[in-house]
Amino acid sequence: MEKGYLCIVLHSHLPYVRHPEYEDFLEEDWLYEAITETYIPLINVYNGLIKDGVDFRITMSITPSLCSMLADPLLQDRYLKHLESLIELSNKEVERTRWEPAFNRLALMYQAQFIETRRVFVDRYHKNILTAFKEFQDMGKLEIITCNATHGFLPLMEVCPKSIRAQVQVGANNYERFFGRRPRGIWLAECGYYPGVDQYVNEAEIRHFFVDTHAILHASPRPKYGVYAPIFCKSGVAAFGRDFESSKQVWSAIEGYPGDFNYREFYRDIGFDLDFEYIKPYIHKEGIRINTGIKYYRITGKTDRKEAYNPDWARDSAGAHAGNFMFNREKQAEYLFDIMKKKPIIVAPYDAELFGHWWYEGPMFLDFLFRKLHYDQKTIKPITPSEYLERNPRNQVSTPSMSSWGYKGYSEHWLDGSNDWIYKHLHKASERMSELANSYPDASGLRRRALNQALRELLLVQSSDWAFIMKTGTVVQYAVKRTKDHILRFIRLYEDIKADRIDEGWLADIEWKDNIFPEIDYRVHT
Amino acid sequence: MKKTKAGKKIMKKAVKKKVKVTAKRAIKRAKPVVKRAKKMRIARKATAAAAPRLEAPRDKAEESKYYPRPTPYLPPRQWEHEELPARYGDTRVVLMARDPYWIFAYWEVSDERRMQVEREASASWNDLRKVLRVYDVTGKDFNGSNANRHFDIDITSEAVNWYIHVGEANRYWCVDLGVMTSGGKFILIARSNVVGTPRDSASDVIDEEWMSIEEDFLKLYGLWGGFAGASPGKVQVKKIMKERLQHALASGGISSFVRPPKYRGFWMVVNTELIVYGATEPDATVTVQGRPIKLSRDGTFSLRFALPDGDQVIPVKGVSADKAEERTITPIVKKYTK
Repeated sequence: MEKGYLCIVLHSHLPYVRHPEYEDFLEEDWLYEAITETYIPLINVYNGLIKDGVDFRITMSITPSLCSMLADPLLQDRYLKHLESLIELSNKEVERTRWEPAFNRLALMYQAQFIETRRVFVDRYHKNILTAFKEFQDMGKLEIITCNATHGFLPLMEVCPKSIRAQVQVGANNYERFFGRRPRGIWLAECGYYPGVDQYVNEAEIRHFFVDTHAILHASPRPKYGVYAPIFCKSGVAAFGRDFESSKQVWSAIEGYPGDFNYREFYRDIGFDLDFEYIKPYIHKEGIRINTGIKYYRITGKTDRKEAYNPDWARDSAGAHAGNFMFNREKQAEYLFDIMKKKPIIVAPYDAELFGHWWYEGPMFLDFLFRKLHYDQKTIKPITPSEYLERNPRNQVSTPSMSSWGYKGYSEHWLDGSNDWIYKHLHKASERMSELANSYPDASGLRRRALNQALRELLLVQSSDWAFIMKTGTVVQYAVKRTKDHILRFIRLYEDIKADRIDEGWLADIEWKDNIFPEIDYRVHT
Repeated sequence: MKKTKAGKKIMKKAVKKKVKVTAKRAIKRAKPVVKRAKKMRIARKATAAAAPRLEAPRDKAEESKYYPRPTPYLPPRQWEHEELPARYGDTRVVLMARDPYWIFAYWEVSDERRMQVEREASASWNDLRKVLRVYDVTGKDFNGSNANRHFDIDITSEAVNWYIHVGEANRYWCVDLGVMTSGGKFILIARSNVVGTPRDSASDVIDEEWMSIEEDFLKLYGLWGGFAGASPGKVQVKKIMKERLQHALASGGISSFVRPPKYRGFWMVVNTELIVYGATEPDATVTVQGRPIKLSRDGTFSLRFALPDGDQVIPVKGVSADKAEERTITPIVKKYTK
């Protein structure tokens, strides 16, 4: 009999980036990289486990903006084009590295991998990999949870609760369209919670969500079992808290597994390393060097003299790390069981893109981990939050504390000198959206289209990613562009709707550009 | 109390600096080294001034977020934009909680309201002393006069927002924006919403039904904090928990993965490649080092190889379509590095 449960959560999210008005748009690559390096490798791991009869459980949030991109025909075709070009590049690489066996072996590895990726993407899932995740959910191996619509950071929306409701409702409805049933759980963007958010979650008939460690440690009344059992908010929704220990082993740059010297070095990509003329067809059209995904080196050590990646050594490390992770969870579960006299649930959430994209061997680590858990031990059992709640319907009632899993644990990353200017506009637009929804409760035709589009623009600008990027200083201009684009479109819609002078041509143009959530109904923002 | 305006100006300047392109979330490719470093210094200064309380222990994981990455310079992309409205014609103050010790207020005052205030105070707007009055309204249904306490902050005329150090977790706050007349009278312009600062430690409220003995509670958290086995006193435990939490949180949120920093100053890389090219009859069969290659439609071919140190013997053999003729040409290349 097991002593505790392990709940691995992979949060997959990308902001909605889709620019039909440009032929080649740099930021769309985020999606293409994630499909090749994370989503399809995960699908391959899940399929492998199923084929070999390994019983496993993973919880995955796939955010509505990511779902919408994965299901979008334009982006699917663009991805395929991108993948074809990668295959072509890998063919050239196989030839170019002919006299260097250590690299030639890797070129062959990438070539095989990309060809297999095309087979999975095109032949098996007909360009829509959401169907893969849905199948795993229908088999009971995966619990897919939703996220608030565009990953808006809810604690900074406290003054516009109607937007919080809309974020949650639109997310839940979007989920239903893709996965054929209501979501049972939700990932609140950046684990952003303040007391009261749960009530909107409950309204959407969602039963659970996740918070960071201190949301539970500081909950009131004090939770008897800490983060090792969920608590019920007063609204009746369950909150699961992140276990610090298991996170640290994977996330930490110092002690974490991904820093192992045998693992692949992320920052050495042939998109940057090779001769410009040669690599030019495979980077951005304007000659901007980008990551191609072909990387030949291992981390090697604290040195710039990187050595060739050795897949066998990396595999050994991934196996050893999976074993170590499992051993630690077993010990942890035994220790906790002893104190709690009840089976603890150890919740270990990660960004999905860590696995495969940043940490190349991450999917392999998961593969080893679930095989070992299945064959090598009986102390811990993988579980999903919904299964846990079915087995443990009685939990302590308490109110989690406001928190996020971001830098310093609260809202600072999204509210800072670099990005605080946006909130005036975000809040005003939210207020105006409610004004519109209340003024036109039964709009039809063109006005209805304009109202729905206004809500799309509002949701898109609320995406926490823009403030995040402004703060981290990466693609700031793009984040500013997106913020301004959506706010300006919203303002014009607001004014045109009120003046009853909607320009259909212009509306059709922004409907074509910002086409997220075709099923949206502006009245959720009443 | 920190004045935003100045810090903000600097930030703005920094942001305007050419930033470039390929990045996703926290950390892909960063700016050119020098500019990045400069910006980080500025940003740091601003943060240090803004948040002394949580400053505590910064470990290397967090630091590494700010290390520059050696990246070739990427040109910035610019987009044309209309400007967003500077004002919406409202009179309001909005309050947001940033963390247990800081709240943020932004505001706007309409022209009419300004004129009203000028009449009431018999002074021009620019000469009036603007004040934020911060109320602790914990446990109150605030009506303007029943706050637990309040303090005033003088703000500059042009300021439109302010980070306010309230310094107390788990309290509720409300802010009045107003002016102070020369006679010491406070004229209210707008009152904010109420926000709560989050807790920074475990709750003292215990639900009897879910009570646990203190020692077990400590053990549970001990595992998390890593002090299992020790038996510190009650008060001390709360303090340790708080410190550990702050340390954990300050070591970089985990919402984005932190890669180890690169230690790299000046650097240089030299590689060599060899291009082997030629032409023959378009329908001929050609092998290079015994491996068949594909000819272009016009019978030309071009191959490119990474060239390691040592000798490369590269027999190129062509055979005519009717197999009646063949020719072999063998370039030999010696490469060494010194």
